[in-house]
Amino acid sequence: MEFKINNLDNILSGSISESSVDGKIIATINGKEHSIRIIGLKNGILEFILDNSYRTAKIIEFGSSYIKMIMNGEQIVLKKHSKLTEILEKSLAIGGSSSGENKLYSQIPGRVVSIMLKSGDQLKKGDSVIVLESMKMQVAVKAHKDGCIRDIRVKVGDTVSRNDVVALIE
Amino acid sequence: MGKLISSILIANRGEIALRVIRACKELKIKSIALYSDEDLRSKHVKSADEAYYLGPPAPAKSYLNIDRIIEIAEISGAEAIHPGYGFLSENETFAAKCEEKGIIFIGPTSAAMALTGDKMKCKEIMIKAKVPTIPGSDDILEDVDKAVEIAEEAGYPVLLKSAFGGGGRGIRLADNEKKLREEFEMASAESRAAFGKSGLYVEKFLQGIRHIEFQLARDSSGNSRHIFERECSIQRRHQKLIEFSPSSVVDKKTRSKIGEIAVRAAESVDYLNAGTAEFLRDEKGNFYFIEINSRLQVEHPVTELVTGIDLVKLQIRIACGEDIPFQQSDLNLNGSAIECRINAEDPFHDFVPSVGLIPDCNLPYGPGVRVDTYLYPGCNVSGYYDSLVAKLITWGQDFNEARVRMSNALDEFIIEGINTTIPLYRTIMNEKNFINGNISTDYLEKYKILNLMQTQIKERSLKTSDSSIAAALLYSEFLKGQNAACNSSKELSLSDWVRIGNIKNGI
Repeated sequence: MEFKINNLDNILSGSISESSVDGKIIATINGKEHSIRIIGLKNGILEFILDNSYRTAKIIEFGSSYIKMIMNGEQIVLKKHSKLTEILEKSLAIGGSSSGENKLYSQIPGRVVSIMLKSGDQLKKGDSVIVLESMKMQVAVKAHKDGCIRDIRVKVGDTVSRNDVVALIE
Repeated sequence: MGKLISSILIANRGEIALRVIRACKELKIKSIALYSDEDLRSKHVKSADEAYYLGPPAPAKSYLNIDRIIEIAEISGAEAIHPGYGFLSENETFAAKCEEKGIIFIGPTSAAMALTGDKMKCKEIMIKAKVPTIPGSDDILEDVDKAVEIAEEAGYPVLLKSAFGGGGRGIRLADNEKKLREEFEMASAESRAAFGKSGLYVEKFLQGIRHIEFQLARDSSGNSRHIFERECSIQRRHQKLIEFSPSSVVDKKTRSKIGEIAVRAAESVDYLNAGTAEFLRDEKGNFYFIEINSRLQVEHPVTELVTGIDLVKLQIRIACGEDIPFQQSDLNLNGSAIECRINAEDPFHDFVPSVGLIPDCNLPYGPGVRVDTYLYPGCNVSGYYDSLVAKLITWGQDFNEARVRMSNALDEFIIEGINTTIPLYRTIMNEKNFINGNISTDYLEKYKILNLMQTQIKERSLKTSDSSIAAALLYSEFLKGQNAACNSSKELSLSDWVRIGNIKNGI
């Protein structure tokens, strides 16, 4: 199976080539054979021995084509790589900026301190639409695409949560 | 030693509230905590002897609510208030209110605070006390000729600043007279448009500056001490990120010379209790006073580790009227200490705040490692307050030992659920200019540290790819069915991960 890790360009590979009744597993990863022994899995925490070294990973999410885990304190997303996903991603990227989602989401929770634009205003991708205050810092919620503001869904003083819709851009 | 007070109300939250509670416990003083709705489950509430409800989460209605805090002090019978840092710690109205109500404010008097808080006034006093300040105009300039005259005296390049500005607004750089005349016109027009007045002043532009500060203490008998320096040049947008002591550019002679100046600065405003004199140091080694911080600093542990002095206990003793129990000559600098401020901000995305539940965390331990934090597994990082979630401080016999211990402790430090500045510090601790003491306040930009961090995280992902792929294979092949705890989608059973062999739960 082929994988892509986080935003690395490298395509990596891995497969399990042997697993015996006594619990020993042989896997081929990036062209090299490794011996693995599973210690256990509890509350999403996977522990195993890889070539005589202890390893642990906390599995956060598991989908049909990806797995998200924390390893050594860092989040790692492994995507299953195939020709089909590559083609799909490319075609999405082409149409991405002009069409797609109209909703502008707040990326952080915070309090609305100012609104820079009003309904009907034209704007470009990256323009600040509203300014939120969180942790004593001011953070702008920026337009994710070019367009025209159809609706501002918040007012100054409102508290918004992460992923709340703050405006509609068409 | 005389009798200490019996109770202290801590008008703060987070790690600094915990720090003060620990000092109270050592001194057998009752600790009284405060909490907003947001902090009901916070650690300082659990650790304190008593905890009183303040109000809604917003700081103005809770930790900045002077009337409410004074009311709780009276109800609880608190004899003193420790303000921590931030919030009301440098609020002279609050200090005055405590004085009026006969509650001991653990910090300077409101009168001294009023002087240190007024930058122009403070500069005036410092010039009188022969404390070196940044050369420039000591008042608003009448016209461009006056600006040129002062610039010639201070030496080019100079900064032209608006007295009404702030946050970098209206600051212009001029490296000769022609440029200064041009800039003066533009800056005064800009200032008039924004503030209705053209209040400009000129200041010498210092290059390759370092931010170095001296810890101070002064008691009510007028004994003053400086407790050595802290190097705070690693900053981002004027916010300190890393502090250490001693500074590599402060030798014994400079230490006592600038230390004496810092003491003079404290005496000239009749300072009381612990405080900090901040200086800028230029490439030529000149020190210029900028301000006195009239509070306990975030980075005080650095000084504690190299001197063995507990600054919070010292603060409490001074506030109770005791004299400082050591002479200047008693103080020794022992080894080296570094602090990293772990902030809940994403260094990969322009330091955007990151808040929420911390499902799990792993704090570092080991020789020379200290962690001041409010984190525990299951706690919440609130968006209402400061982004500082932990201070990691390491000590070593020399800078290098402290640095390597820091690097290893950062590797061990795991905070799940939010993004933090840990990856940035992992990069800095092993960066050659930092190692060689080649630093200034523009360190992050000058050496493109954020790019370096990006590259290193990719290298790390690649380095651990054998392990992460192994984990993915094991999980998808043998284990996913056993574990309902993680968020799996319905597609799970239709998983098209490659299947080899036919092993079920037998491993």
